[in-house]
Amino acid sequence: MNETERKQGEWEPKIIAFLCNWCSYAGADLAGVSRYQYPPSLRIVRVPCSGRVSANMILDALRSGADGVLVSGCHPGDCHYISGNYYARRRFAILKRFLEFVGIESDRVNFSWISASEGEQFAQVATEVTERVKRLGPARHLVKEF
Amino acid sequence: MTTPRGSVLVVGGGIAGVQAALDLADSGFYVHLVERSSAIGGSMSQLDKTFPTNDCSACILSPKLVECGRHLNINLLTLSEILSLSGEPGSFKVKIRQNPRYVDVEKCIACGSCAEKCPKKVPDEFDLGLDTRKAIYLRYPQAVPLKYAIDPEHCIYLKKPGRCGFCEKVCPAGAINFKDTPKEYELEVGSVILALGFRPYSPESLDFTGYKRLKNVVTSMEFERVLSPSGPCMGHMERPSDHQEPKRIAWLQCIGSRDINRACHGYCSSICCMQAIKQAVISREHSASGDVDATIFYMDMRTYGKGFEAYYERAKAEGIRFKRARVHTVCPATGDNLRVRYADEEGKIREDEFDLVVLSVGLETDPQVMRLLHDMGIEVDADSFAETTCFRPVETSKKGIYVCGALAEPKDIPQSVVEASAAALEAERLLHVSRWTETKKKEFPPERDVHAEPPRIGVFVCSCGINIASVVDVQAVTDYAWTLPGVVFAQNNLFTCSQDTINQMAETIKKERLNRVVVASCTPRTHEALFQETLREAGINKYLFEMANIRDQDSWVHQHDPEAATQKAKDLVRMAVAKVRGDEPLPYNSVPVTKSALVIGAGIAGMTAALSLADQGFPVTLIERKDRLGGHGRKFFRTWQGQQVQPYLDELVQMVEANDKINVRVKTTIEEVSGSVGQFKTKLSDGTELEHGVAIVAVGAESYKPREGKWNYLYGKNPNVHTLLELDQRFIEDDQGLSGLNQAVFIHCVGSRVPERPYCSRVCCTHAIDQALHLKDLNPDMDIFMIYRDIRTYGKREHLYQKARAKGIIFIRYDLENLPRVSEDSGGLKLEVRDPIVGADITLHPDLLVLASAVRPRDDVGELSKLFKCAMTSEGFLLEAHMKLRPVDFATDGVYLAGLCHYPKPVEETISQAKAAASRAGLVLSRDAVPAESITAQVNLQKCTGCSVCTQVCAYHAVNMDPNTGKAVVDTGLCKGCGACVAGCRSDAITLKNIGNEQLMAAVEAAMEDF
Amino acid sequence: MSTMNEKITEELRQKARQLLESGRVAAFLGYASGSVPMVMRPFVARTPEDADRLEWNSFCVLNLANYLPALLKSFEPPRRPNEPPPQGPLPKVGVVATGCWSRNMVVQIQENQVERERLVIIGISSRGMVDRKKVQALIAHRDVTAVKEGDNTLVVAGPGFEEEINRWDVVRDNCKSCVHPDPVIFDDMIGELKGERDLPDRFSQVEEIEALSAQERWKWFTSEIQSCIRCYACRNACPLCYCPTCFVDDSRPQWVGKSIDSVDTAIFHILRAYHCAGRCTDCGSCESACPMGIRMRILTKKLQKDVLQLYGIEAGMSVQEPLPLTTYKKDDPQDFILTESLKGEKK
Repeated sequence: MNETERKQGEWEPKIIAFLCNWCSYAGADLAGVSRYQYPPSLRIVRVPCSGRVSANMILDALRSGADGVLVSGCHPGDCHYISGNYYARRRFAILKRFLEFVGIESDRVNFSWISASEGEQFAQVATEVTERVKRLGPARHLVKEF
Repeated sequence: MTTPRGSVLVVGGGIAGVQAALDLADSGFYVHLVERSSAIGGSMSQLDKTFPTNDCSACILSPKLVECGRHLNINLLTLSEILSLSGEPGSFKVKIRQNPRYVDVEKCIACGSCAEKCPKKVPDEFDLGLDTRKAIYLRYPQAVPLKYAIDPEHCIYLKKPGRCGFCEKVCPAGAINFKDTPKEYELEVGSVILALGFRPYSPESLDFTGYKRLKNVVTSMEFERVLSPSGPCMGHMERPSDHQEPKRIAWLQCIGSRDINRACHGYCSSICCMQAIKQAVISREHSASGDVDATIFYMDMRTYGKGFEAYYERAKAEGIRFKRARVHTVCPATGDNLRVRYADEEGKIREDEFDLVVLSVGLETDPQVMRLLHDMGIEVDADSFAETTCFRPVETSKKGIYVCGALAEPKDIPQSVVEASAAALEAERLLHVSRWTETKKKEFPPERDVHAEPPRIGVFVCSCGINIASVVDVQAVTDYAWTLPGVVFAQNNLFTCSQDTINQMAETIKKERLNRVVVASCTPRTHEALFQETLREAGINKYLFEMANIRDQDSWVHQHDPEAATQKAKDLVRMAVAKVRGDEPLPYNSVPVTKSALVIGAGIAGMTAALSLADQGFPVTLIERKDRLGGHGRKFFRTWQGQQVQPYLDELVQMVEANDKINVRVKTTIEEVSGSVGQFKTKLSDGTELEHGVAIVAVGAESYKPREGKWNYLYGKNPNVHTLLELDQRFIEDDQGLSGLNQAVFIHCVGSRVPERPYCSRVCCTHAIDQALHLKDLNPDMDIFMIYRDIRTYGKREHLYQKARAKGIIFIRYDLENLPRVSEDSGGLKLEVRDPIVGADITLHPDLLVLASAVRPRDDVGELSKLFKCAMTSEGFLLEAHMKLRPVDFATDGVYLAGLCHYPKPVEETISQAKAAASRAGLVLSRDAVPAESITAQVNLQKCTGCSVCTQVCAYHAVNMDPNTGKAVVDTGLCKGCGACVAGCRSDAITLKNIGNEQLMAAVEAAMEDF
Repeated sequence: MSTMNEKITEELRQKARQLLESGRVAAFLGYASGSVPMVMRPFVARTPEDADRLEWNSFCVLNLANYLPALLKSFEPPRRPNEPPPQGPLPKVGVVATGCWSRNMVVQIQENQVERERLVIIGISSRGMVDRKKVQALIAHRDVTAVKEGDNTLVVAGPGFEEEINRWDVVRDNCKSCVHPDPVIFDDMIGELKGERDLPDRFSQVEEIEALSAQERWKWFTSEIQSCIRCYACRNACPLCYCPTCFVDDSRPQWVGKSIDSVDTAIFHILRAYHCAGRCTDCGSCESACPMGIRMRILTKKLQKDVLQLYGIEAGMSVQEPLPLTTYKKDDPQDFILTESLKGEKK
């Protein structure tokens, strides 16, 4: 949690986080406003809704070299677009199991529900996902070697 | 009244004045906003953070100020004062004097060279004298207008022409004008809104506090400046004597408030408890080691607002100490430390040592403001606040002149904002026939067609004072931005959102022929709109813009890792540049407005909102689930000011029923809602389909009835146990039996502030005490006991509490560990409770036991909130768009809320909120069309297979199959731009404009690029 | 005594002939023998005489649904993109369908690729089709010149040999694990409906892989697809793949590299399979079509298993039931959501 303890030169994973504009992105903002600290591993991509995130986007992140992916949306029932997160939930459930099936480690691809008022939870999730990905080490399966 | 003027005078440029001005200017009225100082922003701009969200005060305020400063229909008159006012509602004549600034606002670029060279240092009033400024100064870094001013009291040149004059020599813009003179204006306006705010109580005369004698005793407002990153300590928490970080801090509550013995103020200042808790929480965050020992000395902890009690509980859990004690002296101790002597609850004298003492000073009306009110003929109450009544909460004694904010009573920011909108509503109601008669129309320059141009990207990297720059190496980020493909301009700014930077950005866009812009600063959620408008003003489409969030999601969350934060900032800028490269100009869509409103719930809130709109000529459908109008208000006896509620309610019902613009439907609920702002379609339970442009949700709440469980206290079992409302019913019916009672006991917080309902119900303390006083009136010999946890008679309601004590009503405190025990004893009631002052149990035998039970949200609010896509709090109340600055808006455009469904509140606040909701709704209804989503889905017919996945996942029925082509087609009026269809499409045949797959992939890929 | 398949063939020809003669259909889609043993080719009978060339045996492995949209379209008058569709009924097409093919037709109907009213479906309950590669493996990949099919046996002959093998031993994996042999929609049946098969271990192939570690699964996956030459025969044989521009051919955006680099190939297979999620009926065409013997069906079978387990849906069982990824339930399982599982841990 405390990155002052992060040793010089220690590997810091890069994690692509697709956050919905209305809940999770606002939650991430609130984490900042409340000064909850978390590791500097996330690269946040703002999307209108978790329902905007397709399997292709997640694969693209892994293909581009992300060590992990986090997709976060509004809690079920809170979707600003009524039902985007419900469709996303099905899509992600299937995709996550499928990627695990072909050998992508379970902790690489993560999903969460974080509301606009959950700054602390956002920091927790960011920390948790980073720790999980750190334990796995760099992701290489879907990255081309040149 | 002849045709009234279509313009309004707003006096006072604090948050209330600014909100009132914006509401009016956005709904068709021209506004003159008069501010005494050199910049708007008021007290809110001096605060560090705001409770209970810990939002940075300046950050949330700044966009509103800038909007106000740039608004075409707001004439900002700073350094100005009212000389006289005459006339009548609809046509007032106002004389205004604008004092000289000695700096030409057209020329000043706010570079600061003048202040740098100015040799004259004077105490900085913005920092409450904790620091100095120069005789030529900027009120504060984000000041609007962002223009320097010369203080004639201190300027050497103005005192003795011929001497000094350095500023004139160094000003690169030639903006100094020593010959500037006062200007007088005579304005004609239809209405006046007074938003003159408060000044903090000065505790100099309170000797026991040691204020001014002891260096390390500061007021709460001074401490705000100490904490503020733009304050005298640059956000490093220091105590005045030795600039060391204090480790032990005490807050002394009620300094100048709730104090009738020391000739201070009798009222409660309403905000200080929360402010102290906030400061305690924030001081720990500011502390380098994080181990500040924070102690708050208080009488009653008044955390009665939405989210307050949870904030209080969190503070307790984090180790902030709360001592229920009144301090009697602060004396010097070793070094510059302070010894605080106080009597604890048992009456024992104790002493604790602190490094710093913060006096939570109250709010009072400025004597200068008092004179102005007097000159205008506005009546003030005994506490020197503008006189209002519960049923007319924003109306002054003079017709056509309205009041909002702390001028009428101490209050927090959201309540001030609510009243500002409510005051605007009253002006709108008065002047509605002259809407749009005096306003100007915003014309943007034609947009340059950038389609054929290669990307020319400009990157503006914000320091946000020190918010970003203290962690992120902004210069390195700026230098890095220059190296990115397509970037032809990059610059670091101190405050990118300040008006001069924004103006300069527009110039840069033109000069450098930029066709894409990236701002790396705070969050697009607050600042995107502001920067986008700058693009428009500079003649390019506003969608050619991206933000990199290097503050909220970078510098603030990696405070101890500057290197990684800088690296991340570079990555975020690279991602934004990659994304903006693919951005295309988009059309500005709009939706025609159905100029009618649906109001749900015909209680006081709903009826007030309905009348407020109908009186402006907008048709309203008012639906009520029960068979008669009145709602929860039917159960109330009187307001805390003593006005009877039932006659008022009857009159309200009569007015609603007589108003031909209001269509009342009782026993009606909502079945289905479709459409969006401007064009809602709602199906009612009676089968009718309604088209309306806006909706106001005012469905109320319920009184908790403790029939079972821990808070039962024999309710429903013994006939002499009532809730507050049941006693009110007996008052309404003028029950003669009450005067014969010998003893009445009230138990407070029944079902509130308990684990299953952790919030404070706000109204019950005042309600219970008022009832006790009424019982005393009925039978002066009656013994009355209040079994309470904290008495929360905030604001002027405190006088009731004082009166109750004076009348011999006895207050006994309990806590959750020592609940009162109620049993039946030979037919009568027996109540035992531990008296913490006596330190022993006492036994009472009331013949009336009144339970001040919670106000709880209605169970069906959840369903309704889903229909309108509104959010709810974990407690089940409806959640506004922003706790501080958008208190009556939902995040869903065109839907507003008022009354108890938002949070427990007394009648006067319900009325204000209903009027505020009507004012906000008026922003939509006063227009023929409202802007619609530009970022909409788009079908690529070459790729579309017509499989209809998109039509099935679209929640708005915005994607349909074209029967001719067999392919998908998007209705851009309905499309909300969520992108569910895009993610659902296997064929990549449907995309979201500017949030296409290619663009998101470009951003993702950019994030991973090594460099 | 003729075999079951001979009887079916006879009945099929007769029904097809009647349909063509009566003009009820403009064409009839079935199978005819090709020049190579054990390979049946899809055949469109356009005249009553053509009907006699139709045949039914255990080698009818290519999913006929795949050809329906184009065949139907060929009977529509040509029109410009924005021209309204022609008034009045369009010519119909007859087609033979087993369980999985009929379910693919249901999906096609749901996805607007074919219209039910333009189909005349002759249903046949499937006994399972034979995997040519399994036969070849059994006879050590010698050349085969002729195969004679009995009800439960295959007599495989080639230069200098003739071997009888048990038909069920060489039935395709997908057919062996199939629980829905009966067509779900049809206008006429040949033979009886057999009813659902009870197969508790229908997903055993998938479960074996699931039991491995992540590392072992990655190893399995990459070795399985290692020989892929990106010929897209699997895609072309699939009735679910009908996008005008397939993602593999797209360059803006480029979802997947076009090389046979192992990463590109992996992404291709992941995406191809994922596109079939909730839609695949496990007809096995992809695997049957693959020249390299890649068992990519296990990927779609995994998806099928999860969709069934999580949402209780199997693709194409009913036109009324929406496809699983175009619908949701509020209480869909979400234990994979981190914030939910963390909540669970705390409790």
